[in-house]
Amino acid sequence: MSKQPTLLVRAYWAAAVLALAAAIAVVLFYTPDEVTMGPVQKIFYLHLPMAINTFFACLLVFVASIGYLWQRSLWWDDLAAAGAKVAVLLSSGVLATGMIWARSAWGQWWTWSPRLTFSLMLWLLYVVYLVVRTSVESGQRRAVVSAVYGITAFLDVPLVWLSARLMEDIHPSSVTLSGQMRVTLTLWFLPVTLMAAGLVLARFNLTRRIRERGLTMERRFHPTGMQVSQGVA
Amino acid sequence: MATLTAQTGAAPTTESSAAVYTVALEKWIDDRVILQGITLSIARGQYIGLLGANGAGKSTLLKILATLTAPSGGRLMLFGRNIGRDAGASRRRIGLIGHQSMLYRDLSAFENLEFFGRLYGVGDPAARADELLRAVELADRADDPVKSLSRGMTQRVAIARALVHDPDLILADEPFDGLDAPSSRSLERLLSQLHEGGKTIILANHHIEQSLRLTERAIVLRGGRVVIDSDSRRLTSAAVLKEMERG
Amino acid sequence: MTSVLRQALLIAVKDLRIESRSRQTLGLVVVLGILIVTVLGLGLGSQHMSGSAATAVLWVAYLFSGVLCFEKTMTVERQDGAMAGLLLAPLDRGVIYLGKLLSNLALMLAVAAVITPVGVLFFGFDLSAAPLAFFAILGMSMLGFAAVGTLFAAVVSSSRLQGGLLAMVVFPITLPLVIASTQLTARLSQEGQSWNGSAFAVLLAFDVIFLVASWLAFEWVIEP
Repeated sequence: MSKQPTLLVRAYWAAAVLALAAAIAVVLFYTPDEVTMGPVQKIFYLHLPMAINTFFACLLVFVASIGYLWQRSLWWDDLAAAGAKVAVLLSSGVLATGMIWARSAWGQWWTWSPRLTFSLMLWLLYVVYLVVRTSVESGQRRAVVSAVYGITAFLDVPLVWLSARLMEDIHPSSVTLSGQMRVTLTLWFLPVTLMAAGLVLARFNLTRRIRERGLTMERRFHPTGMQVSQGVA
Repeated sequence: MATLTAQTGAAPTTESSAAVYTVALEKWIDDRVILQGITLSIARGQYIGLLGANGAGKSTLLKILATLTAPSGGRLMLFGRNIGRDAGASRRRIGLIGHQSMLYRDLSAFENLEFFGRLYGVGDPAARADELLRAVELADRADDPVKSLSRGMTQRVAIARALVHDPDLILADEPFDGLDAPSSRSLERLLSQLHEGGKTIILANHHIEQSLRLTERAIVLRGGRVVIDSDSRRLTSAAVLKEMERG
Repeated sequence: MTSVLRQALLIAVKDLRIESRSRQTLGLVVVLGILIVTVLGLGLGSQHMSGSAATAVLWVAYLFSGVLCFEKTMTVERQDGAMAGLLLAPLDRGVIYLGKLLSNLALMLAVAAVITPVGVLFFGFDLSAAPLAFFAILGMSMLGFAAVGTLFAAVVSSSRLQGGLLAMVVFPITLPLVIASTQLTARLSQEGQSWNGSAFAVLLAFDVIFLVASWLAFEWVIEP
């Protein structure tokens, strides 16, 4: 029972890809090179939208975690998991682009600067979320553990940011954007956000379909719709 | 399901006068239904036998009545009080004897009882602990760590723990498991004494004959539903067994 | 309010009494802590270690020991269903959290009382500048760590335990603590350094936020 992607979904992804293509074109042909860094600086246009979207993905995990603890429905848990997967994807991108930036701006792949340290800690926080899910048996228990962690992790984010700022900032980066650069930056938000949101929804839908299919199969073997398990009374 | 009053011959119980009053109680875990449509009215001072095969929902029902687990749906009232999320005060009147002893093995029987006594705000917990240990005939082993006690003795301490605060509603989940014949009989006597003292008792048991002999009313669960609710004396083990095995 | 504290203390005293009977956890954890400090000290060449490095080494020891303490105090409740006994009592769930927090803190402080002098000894860490401040910072850090650890020990303990799960969950959350406290203690051993207000603010904020959040979350997640 495979579902063909609907027209809406196809149109959505077509728009996202088009926006990405347009954004790339703009960056290559329209945006000027930055004075000190050269063309590599342009990775910033990808970096910042990804960072902002990471925040929203983490916020989604937070809200969905609260939703789960409140309603105890696995619907919320699936949503939180989808959000976390995208958060890790995005924050990996933020980390990678941040390191490329560091390499080109300061000659080092890694420094314990506030921004990179923050990116690393954030990445770790949500990678752990995913690992926790593989370590606990699926179902309500996993959802509870994930939800508590999802809430705690998000509450931790401002503290992580503040503590990262305590790290020595050897290379304070002051980015002044010209008019054209600002336009480019704004433009890049569109494809990145579309794709991030699209991935969350795609992942969520996939998980829901798998779960529903699992339930349908169970009902086929137990016509009463009820399961009697051993020793649970 | 015939009306309860006709069976037991007791006066009709209202929401507020009943010890336990449930309406359409249900419980599911992970999309699996464990209890459904449980509507019961248990008058104060009744001695109920809860029967059913493994997996029928007995333990879960007792856990819900003990306010350890929240039901997924339906309403629960204990001694005329609605049990919502905050069940704190009502817990003073409930005692649960479970599968596990709920004791701390490294502490002595006395220390365990004193701890729980203090937790429940019992006046003079130490004296109460002594009193209970005498009642379950373990006064001589009072200061030995629980891990050094036999299964039967541990069970006795566990029962003492459940009674430390003199609860009005006693829930017992298969308390006879693992007890030898003499301990079993002592427990039967203890429960009967409590019943005569006006306590409401719900005893979950898989030993049908014993349950019908001890209790006054039998409630049988199958697949999470009540299939029999009637006077114990009017039932035979064979009939109950047949009902349990159906489906 | 006082009954809340009284009941929490009751639980904590009970835990500590159990621990004093078996003595297994404290011994294991203290020795582990000393081993960690030794390994790191040997590896890093302890001739003269900077204040922040010494604090970091101590922190590694505290983190691993702490996690073991948290696991133990929860395991005590999981044996024989004792947690159900606590949940049956007319107690606010937050009181159980507070009681566990207090026992965890007591155990961690006992461990720190042994490991810290060892660390100071091995690394020649000079505390004479501001010993009280050092202990205050340590205490506050441990409070924050225990606040989070107690909550997650409860959440994790009732699932099929994989070794290291609690540690994995608690470490990333408490990274801000590590940063803030190492920054604060590093300043202490250097003369003439001004007080690092923002680091202290992070420490304080962490403690407050997670004490409150864990207290509230506990009742939603604790299961018999």
